[in-house]
Amino acid sequence: MQEFRPHREHPELKKLIAEASRALACLDADRLEELALSCQALNRAWLPADVEMRTNLAREATEASGNMAVFARVLEATRANLHVTNRLHDLRAGRLEYDEVQARGWARTESGHGDN
Amino acid sequence: MGTISSAFSLISQALDADQSALSVVANNVANANTAGYTEETPTWRENAPIEINGVSYGSGVTSTGSTSVRDRVLEERLNQQQQLASASGARLTALDTLQALFTPDSGTASSTAGDIGTDLTSFFSSFSSLEANPTNNTLRQDVLSTAATLAGDISNAAASMNSQKSALDQDAAGVTSQVNALTTAIAQLNQQIETTSPNADAGTLEDQRQEDLSQLSKLIGVNQVTTENNGLSITTTSGQSLVSDGSSFQLTTGTVNGSTHFYVGTTDVTSGLTSGGGELGGYLTARDQDIPSAMASLDQLAYSVSTQINALNNAGTDLAGDTSNAGNIFSEPTEVSGSAASMSVVMTDPNHIAAAGSGDGTGDNSNAKTMANLANKAIVDGQTATNYYSNFVTTLGSTVSGVQTENTAQTASVTQLQTQRDALSSVSLNDEATSMQKLERSYQAASQVFAILNTIMASALNQGVETSVS
Repeated sequence: MQEFRPHREHPELKKLIAEASRALACLDADRLEELALSCQALNRAWLPADVEMRTNLAREATEASGNMAVFARVLEATRANLHVTNRLHDLRAGRLEYDEVQARGWARTESGHGDN
Repeated sequence: MGTISSAFSLISQALDADQSALSVVANNVANANTAGYTEETPTWRENAPIEINGVSYGSGVTSTGSTSVRDRVLEERLNQQQQLASASGARLTALDTLQALFTPDSGTASSTAGDIGTDLTSFFSSFSSLEANPTNNTLRQDVLSTAATLAGDISNAAASMNSQKSALDQDAAGVTSQVNALTTAIAQLNQQIETTSPNADAGTLEDQRQEDLSQLSKLIGVNQVTTENNGLSITTTSGQSLVSDGSSFQLTTGTVNGSTHFYVGTTDVTSGLTSGGGELGGYLTARDQDIPSAMASLDQLAYSVSTQINALNNAGTDLAGDTSNAGNIFSEPTEVSGSAASMSVVMTDPNHIAAAGSGDGTGDNSNAKTMANLANKAIVDGQTATNYYSNFVTTLGSTVSGVQTENTAQTASVTQLQTQRDALSSVSLNDEATSMQKLERSYQAASQVFAILNTIMASALNQGVETSVS
């Protein structure tokens, strides 16, 4: 009798990462939260000791490295954008004194994030 | 002012104020699809309390027009990101065209790219074949034939790069008139805004100015500074003034060593514009950096192969028994620069191929063997010819990939910022809080996705600790 092995299929990493980049660009929070849950499930199913799984995942990881670089850059740009909008929110809420010169300084500083 | 007319005045003002607010709302709805239109909110000025028979009756309000809900910090960030995205987009288009010249199987009908890597292998292999039968005329003809294919593909690639450089030069020069039209329009709007609304948001006029600034940001890299009386000064990223209040300074062009250069006044701003961003920055980066770099590599390959082969042929003995003067196979380059474009086969008689060594009989093959062995010698910048070419193509591919990554990320950033601005500044049902929350949620979830995948991938590639993350 054949030994039972749980079916551990997972989506191609490349597609999953590209989908995450697209969702982040569009600020599709719902989709990103679904993807986060998927990744948690993938992380639980991932068994480094399983040679076959490790081989497949290593191949996929190599193929997906370019997509991961894009995702990292979009994430970095998003962090900078979030930082800018948080500052603006604080300004509007009156927690910081609005100052045109200061604000321009921030804009220049923030432009360094996610651009290089 | 304790009269009945005062009471009517109070009510009337309230009605007028409501009517004014309704007009603003109607204006917002009517302009919902107008590019660059910013939502206007009614503003109110508190009136002095009205006393009737000694009793103070509240405070009336008077509408003082409207104030656009805009945020210059967000819009400046958007313009900056737009400049970067436009630059990388223009550069990427140029790089894709450049890469196609070295991708024989690019599949495009118009692609005339040869396979220089295969040409090199075939050329050196033809000497190996000749080595086995050095007097065979067909094999000698084969050497000249593969040499012609190699020289033809290299010189065609160089010619195509020169054509592309000229096209980019024209594209770059063409941006000038658009930039000048926009800076002139912004200067005129500055005058109108400073005259009509020096201390408050100028509504539609500011929308127009913002739209023009956004268009300008797609074309070149600029910095903006708000001046007194609601004016706007614009400089190139290297600090040359383009707009100062009501005045604009034209960008002009001139030719230096065959390339278009850009000036503000008498100052050459080409270098600053190249690194500044916008489409112009992308065109100039491709024209002045990417294409010259690729051309330099191809020149080096053509120079090394031509001079080495020619030197060996002249050192051997041809089929007519001529020693030490068999002649050149390729046109002899005088310097590295321009070697690729001028590469050609000058030998017409295959009998002049010096397969034999110097002083040896015409049936000898030692020189053909030496020329065949050049395939495995580090003759181009410390590498074999095929490895040098292979590394060149790989480096070009890596540059294209890097610019693609940048462009994707920058375009995504622009999309995000437009979403934020639309939620905050344009006619939208979403309020700021919802928009902020969406951005925060997206970032948090994406960070989680990234962290988990990064750990799994590192582990799978034996680069990380094999532990799960929660």
